[in-house]
Amino acid sequence: MDIVGIFAALLNVVGSPYHVFLLLIAVPAGMFFGAIPGLGGKLGIVLAIPFVFGMDPLAGAIFLVSMHAVVHTGGSIPSILFGVPGTGPDAATIVDGLPMTRNGEAGRAIGAALGASGVGGVIGGLFLLAIMPLLRPVVLAFGPAEFFLLALFGITFIAMLAGDSLIKGLLVGLFGLMLATVNLDPQTGTQRYTFDFLFLWDGVDIITAVLGIFAIPEMIALGVAGGAMADVKQRASYGLSGVLQGIRDVFRHWGLTLRTSIIGAFIGMIPGLGGDAASWICYGHAVQSSKTPERFGKGAEEGVIAPETANNSKEGGSLLPTLFFGVPGSSGMAILLGAFIMLGIQPGPGLALDGMDVVWTLIWALMIANVVAVAMFFVLAPAFGYLSYVRGSLLIPFVLTLTYLGSYLSHRAWENLVLLTVLGGLGYLMKKYEWPRPPFVIGLILGPVVEDSFHKAFALWGPAFLLRPGAMFMMALIIVSFTVYFWRRRNKTNQIQVQEHVA
Amino acid sequence: MRHGLVGLVVLAIALLVGPKLQAITGYYEGRNVTYIVATNAGGGYDAYARLLGGYLEKHLNADHVIIRNVPGAGHLVGANTLARSRPDGLTIGTFNAGLIYGQLAGNEALRFDLRELGWIGKAAGEPRAVVVSSECPIKTMDDLLAADEPIVFAGAGIGSASYADTRLLSEALDLKIRIIPGYEGTEAEMAMMRGEICGQVASTSSVQGFVDAGYGAYLLSVGGSIDGVPNAMEFATDERGRRIVQLVSTMAALGRVSAAPPGTPQEQLDALREAYRTALEDPALRAEARTKGRPIDPAYGDDVKQLVAAALDQTPATIEIIKRALNAGSLQANVASDAEPQQLFATAAD
Repeated sequence: MDIVGIFAALLNVVGSPYHVFLLLIAVPAGMFFGAIPGLGGKLGIVLAIPFVFGMDPLAGAIFLVSMHAVVHTGGSIPSILFGVPGTGPDAATIVDGLPMTRNGEAGRAIGAALGASGVGGVIGGLFLLAIMPLLRPVVLAFGPAEFFLLALFGITFIAMLAGDSLIKGLLVGLFGLMLATVNLDPQTGTQRYTFDFLFLWDGVDIITAVLGIFAIPEMIALGVAGGAMADVKQRASYGLSGVLQGIRDVFRHWGLTLRTSIIGAFIGMIPGLGGDAASWICYGHAVQSSKTPERFGKGAEEGVIAPETANNSKEGGSLLPTLFFGVPGSSGMAILLGAFIMLGIQPGPGLALDGMDVVWTLIWALMIANVVAVAMFFVLAPAFGYLSYVRGSLLIPFVLTLTYLGSYLSHRAWENLVLLTVLGGLGYLMKKYEWPRPPFVIGLILGPVVEDSFHKAFALWGPAFLLRPGAMFMMALIIVSFTVYFWRRRNKTNQIQVQEHVA
Repeated sequence: MRHGLVGLVVLAIALLVGPKLQAITGYYEGRNVTYIVATNAGGGYDAYARLLGGYLEKHLNADHVIIRNVPGAGHLVGANTLARSRPDGLTIGTFNAGLIYGQLAGNEALRFDLRELGWIGKAAGEPRAVVVSSECPIKTMDDLLAADEPIVFAGAGIGSASYADTRLLSEALDLKIRIIPGYEGTEAEMAMMRGEICGQVASTSSVQGFVDAGYGAYLLSVGGSIDGVPNAMEFATDERGRRIVQLVSTMAALGRVSAAPPGTPQEQLDALREAYRTALEDPALRAEARTKGRPIDPAYGDDVKQLVAAALDQTPATIEIIKRALNAGSLQANVASDAEPQQLFATAAD
C-alpha cells in the first residue's frame, strides 16, 4: 500500500485550516441531527447540500463525511438518558444505557457511549484501510442466500440473549417478524394487513416502532413510579469523573471494543443488510462473550459499548462500496453518493486508479471527526448527566413531545402517532410483565430481509440455495450459537444446584 | 440594423406582455408556495424540486417555495395529498408519472383522475434501457432473442412502475426473460455484479455509472436514444407490440413531472407554467443542474397534458396487459416460470 499517499492524505485534512474549520462545524451539526429523534443523518446531508454546493470537491466531501460519521455519537445521548433513540441503530444502546441512568450512572454511560463511538469510528477507519484490497470479493460473497441466513442468525441470536427465557425471546422476535409482513407484498403486490391505510403500504415505520416499544413505556413507568430517571436515593457519581470512568471502561474492555468495531465495519460494508442490524448483532455478541451475561439489561457498560462502537464503525464500512462500486450500502449513503457526484467526485472503480487520495482523505476525515466529536461532547457530557435527576413531572412532557415529534418527522404521517400510542401501550405491558423487547425490534428490522432474500434465493436456486458455501457457514454459526447458549445454561443450572446443595 | 429591429420587436412584446405578467406574478408576491415531493428527502424527485424551488421563487416573485416531502406507497400518498390540496395556485407537486399505470389498471388507492390535474411541465425524462451484466453470456439483442432458456432479470417490487415497465417490455418484444422481483434501488446492480442476475430494465440515469465502470452494457434503449444502441421500437414486430413500446416510451419521456391540484384557476396555472418555463430556461439553473448531474429535458403545460392524456388512452387489450403486469397475473407467470427447469446462473454461480 502507498504509505506516503496515505499520510499525505492526512495532511490534506489537518494541514488545511479551512478543512479543519469545516470539520469543526460539521461535527456538532451531525451530532445534532443524530440527537433529535426522527431527523437522522440522511436529512442532515440533504439539508447540507445547498451549503456545500459550490465548495471545492474535497472540502465539500470532508464536510459531508464528517457530518455523517458522528450522527450516532449524538444519537446515543437521548437513548441513554430517556430511552428515546435518536436514530434507529441507537435503540440497542437503550437496553443497558437506560438502566445505567436509573442506577445513577448516566455520566458513566454517556462517557462509555462517547468513548465507544470515537474508538469505533477510528478502528472502523483503520479496518477499512486494511481490508481495501479484499473489498470486492468480500462484498460480492454476500447474496440473497447469505442474507437470508444472516438475518435468521440475527433474530435467533437476539432472542437467545435478551432476557431470561428463550421461548419468550423467540415469541417476541416472531411477533416482530409478523409485524414486518404489514406492507405491500413485494412478490405479489397484494396489500397485507394494511386495512387500506396508505401509510402502512411501506410497512410499519421502524422509528415509530422503536420509539413506541422503548421510549413510551419508560415514560409511563416513570410517571407511575414518580421521582426522576435516576432511581437512586443520593446522587451517585456525576460530573467529569463519571464520564471519565465511562471512557476508561471502553479501554478496559478493549477486546470487546476491538471485536465489535470490526464486526460493525464489516456489516456496514455489505450493501443491503442495513446498519440497524449491526448494533444489535454486536450487542448480542457482547452478551454472549461476557463471563457475567446476567448483568446485561440491568446496566452493564459493555451493553453500551458494543452497539455504540458498531454504530460508528459501520458508517465507515458503508463508505467503501459507495466509493468503489458507486453502489451505496444504505439510503444515507445513496444521498452521499449523489452529493459526491454533484461535487465532482465520481465514485466507481475508476476511483481506485486515480482517486485514492480522495478515498484516504475521506477515511482520515471520518476518523478525525469521530475523535473531535468525543472531545467536543466530553465537556458537555456532565451537563447531560444532570438531566437524569430532573423530576419526572418536568421531564415526561418534554420527552413525550420529542417522541411524538420524532415519529411524525420520520414519515410525515399523522397515522403513525396513533400507531406509536398503541405500540407504546404494548411496550409498557411487555416491560411490566418482563418480556424482552429487543427481539421485537430486530424481528421488525430483519423481517423484510428474511422474506425478500428467501424469495430471491428460492427463485434463483431452489432449495439448493442452502448448500451454497456462504449459507452453510451461516447455518454453522446459528448452530454454534445455540450450542453455546444451551451449554452455558446447563452449566449455570448445575452451579445453582451445587450451591443449593452446599447451602 | 437587423439586430436593432429584433431588439425593437422584443421590446414591443415585452411592453405588451410585461404588465400582464406583472399582474399575475403580483399574486405571488409575499406568499409562500408549497412544493409537494412524493418521496423522502434525498431522491431524484426531491433533488429536482429543490433545484427548481429557488428559481421558481425568483420567477414567481414569491416569498418562499417550501419543499414538503410526503413519501409513501410508491408516490400515491404524495399525489393524493396534492390532489386534495386547495387549488389556489399556492400548492404544486411532483411525483412519478408511473402512476398512470395505476390509473389504467384501476388502482383504487389513486383517489383522483390524473387528467384533471393542472399540468405544469416536466423537468426531464427518465429514459429506460435494457442493461446486461458483463458476467452474463448475453451480449446483444440477438443473443437475448435467440436464448433457449429464460434469462434472469431483476425487477423492483410487483406493483411498482419499474416492475410494470419490465413486464410490458418483455410482453411487447416477446423477450424470454424471467423476472425475479424485489430488487429495490441499487440491489439489482449488486446482484448483476455477483452474477446471480443477468440484466434489468432500468432508467439510464441510475445505471449510467454502472455501465461506465464496465460492469455492464446497454442492449436496448426505450424512450430515449443511446449512441450505438438500438431502440426498442425496432424490435416491436406487430401493432400490439408497438403500442406497448409507445406507452413505455411516453412514460419515460414524462419522467419528472410537476402539476397543480385539479381546479387551479387558469390565471394561476398560467403563471406557474410561465415561471416553470423561465426557471428551466434560466442559464443559471442549467449550469447548476449540470454540476449536480441532473439532466434537463423540459416540456411544458399543454404538451405534458397531452402526453398524459395519450398515455391514458389505451385499448382494453393493453389495459389487460398492464393489469397483469401490476397485479396477480404476474404471480401466475412466476409459478409458470418456476416450473421451467434450468436457470441461466444456477450453474455459473455454484
